[in-house]
Amino acid sequence: MAQPRDSPDSTASSAEPLLRAVDLTRHFRLGGLFSKHSLHAVDDLNLNIREREIVALVGESGSGKSTVARLLARIYKPTRGEIYYRGRSLRSLRSRKDQLWYRGEVALVLQDPFSSLHPVFHVSHGVTRNLALHRAELKRNERRREAERVCETVGLSPKMLSRFPYEMSGGERQRIGFAQALAVAPKLILADEPVSMLDVSIRIGILNMMAGLRDREGVSLLYITHDLASARYVADRVVVMYAGHLVEEGPTETVLSSPKHPYTQLLLSAVAEPSEKDAEIAADSGEPPRVIDPTEGCRFRWRCPHAIEKCAQVTPRPTPIGEAQVACHVAVAEAQRASNPASIS
Amino acid sequence: MADPLLEVDDLAVEYLTGNANVRAVNGVSFTVGPGEFLGIVGESGCGKSTLLFAVAQLLSPPGEVVGGKVMFHGRNMVRLSRGELQSMRWRDYSIVMQSAMNALNPMKSIGAQFKDTLQAHGATSNDDVRQRSTEVMNLVGIDPAHLHSYPHQLSGGMRQRAMIAMALLFTPQLVIMDEPTSALDVVAQQSLMTKIKDLQRSLGFAVIFVTHDMSVVSRYSDRVLVMYAGEIAEAARTAEVFERPLHPYTRGLMNAFPSVRGPRRDLVGIPGSPPDLARPPSGCRFHPRCPDVMPACLSNEPDLYRVGDTDVRCLLYAEQAKEAV
Repeated sequence: MAQPRDSPDSTASSAEPLLRAVDLTRHFRLGGLFSKHSLHAVDDLNLNIREREIVALVGESGSGKSTVARLLARIYKPTRGEIYYRGRSLRSLRSRKDQLWYRGEVALVLQDPFSSLHPVFHVSHGVTRNLALHRAELKRNERRREAERVCETVGLSPKMLSRFPYEMSGGERQRIGFAQALAVAPKLILADEPVSMLDVSIRIGILNMMAGLRDREGVSLLYITHDLASARYVADRVVVMYAGHLVEEGPTETVLSSPKHPYTQLLLSAVAEPSEKDAEIAADSGEPPRVIDPTEGCRFRWRCPHAIEKCAQVTPRPTPIGEAQVACHVAVAEAQRASNPASIS
Repeated sequence: MADPLLEVDDLAVEYLTGNANVRAVNGVSFTVGPGEFLGIVGESGCGKSTLLFAVAQLLSPPGEVVGGKVMFHGRNMVRLSRGELQSMRWRDYSIVMQSAMNALNPMKSIGAQFKDTLQAHGATSNDDVRQRSTEVMNLVGIDPAHLHSYPHQLSGGMRQRAMIAMALLFTPQLVIMDEPTSALDVVAQQSLMTKIKDLQRSLGFAVIFVTHDMSVVSRYSDRVLVMYAGEIAEAARTAEVFERPLHPYTRGLMNAFPSVRGPRRDLVGIPGSPPDLARPPSGCRFHPRCPDVMPACLSNEPDLYRVGDTDVRCLLYAEQAKEAV
């Protein structure tokens, strides 16, 4: 995929993705008011989400993937960088009308269905409230009908709307989370680990529902997960993050069948498959570093088996290799050698 | 097989609630041989943690063992007094909890918690304590300098390793693990599992490992129990279960995992959700969700039938099992 070429001011065109993040950066100040230390949760992330596309954002905890979701949902403000939705910069959305518009287009589904629903209201409350806020043109009985429709879209019987959250199972609650998001008729749903709290037998149902939303309702999804297998199951494209940096990005099959970045390779090797016994197991035990006041250089270099001197001096930038983008000096050099053997000097 | 280390026979656990008693574990029997790695798989609410707590005698009211035996070292653990149990805990068997963050004392350094445990079982001089603590930290691959660290200073993976180190202080014959890896990331999970397996091979203790993740079990366990709604649905050697899953629930579980390799295919999972144990379904407890349900399943409670080397609780195999006998 090509880097976005048009300037930030260009208007929406057919080539413009639904959502585009450019050099998205978010730092958090640590400690007191005068502390000079900051945690770099996300650094210089470029991300495109096109229409009718499921993009999986994969990484370990602490890699900054939830921060990305919150930035895109405007819960956090970016420290630097821009987010364009349909060509409009989110910074330009100031009025209440604009903000409502954006929240009506982009909805967030949270990880924990046990704490993200209001316990004292029927679950219909969240759904109809979204309808009243974002689709004011609907009359009262139309709202009711629309609530029942989204409920059916997510695979629940409309009778469920008059239940309380405590009367529902985790899978049902997570479906209500999606129903709330769908009530605003969004074009993009940000799903932050929507299945990680659910039982395995129920996960597939939610993933199938997500694929159905894309295919039938034309919704795009950002699917945040640490589970590569489920990312492969639903996503069209995969973005792998490590310690706040994008390390590899590309079409799902390309990235997972021939991962170029050593971190993606490590993640893949760590996935146990029910079908295989005693596969080769990475000896790596590390976890992503907390990125406090980082210096230049690749953040994976301490765990990387291929690290070279350059990795400690220059931060690798995402560079195209085939259909993928890879932020690794070694992989990029290798790909260049392979494609152009004559140029070795 | 040699004499089993642990023998659980027809164990039943109930939670005594206001209106109805909830039977969370119903007629579960299994054995664990010395040095064996037994995996117990099931969804949340299937009673797997309750089963572990019953085996380790850690149930607190309203939970109560209402029937069956847990034979360990030739003694029925259900009948033992508090004091007798206390002398066995950590020394003869130990437990690694799901969330080490909550299981470790946040106010004490790791070393101090090791010391508590060692002294409770008569370890003596500070030198002994220090030496043994250092040894177990080295075993699990943490720098012994972290004996002075507090739990919050360690990462999730290291905390879980520290818990395992604590469980190995006396090299017990049985280590019970309740989803020790489920709070960890894939890479940390993988390395921890490899560590556990290595230690188990070199020190020879038996492991009961509870998880909801079939893939973890497939790679590391010798035998698998699949639990559903408080009962054993299927029990067999691991390879057997993965090559020829018999129970429709086991097949459903295996079918609920997307793969990162091989062809992409559509999966269905298991429709519906686990039953409420206060009102278990009639007949086979799995029948409301079962793709192969027959009329008999609604009324007849299946036994555990033996098919080949596998025990399976499903009426599909009732005939087959009878013929074999």
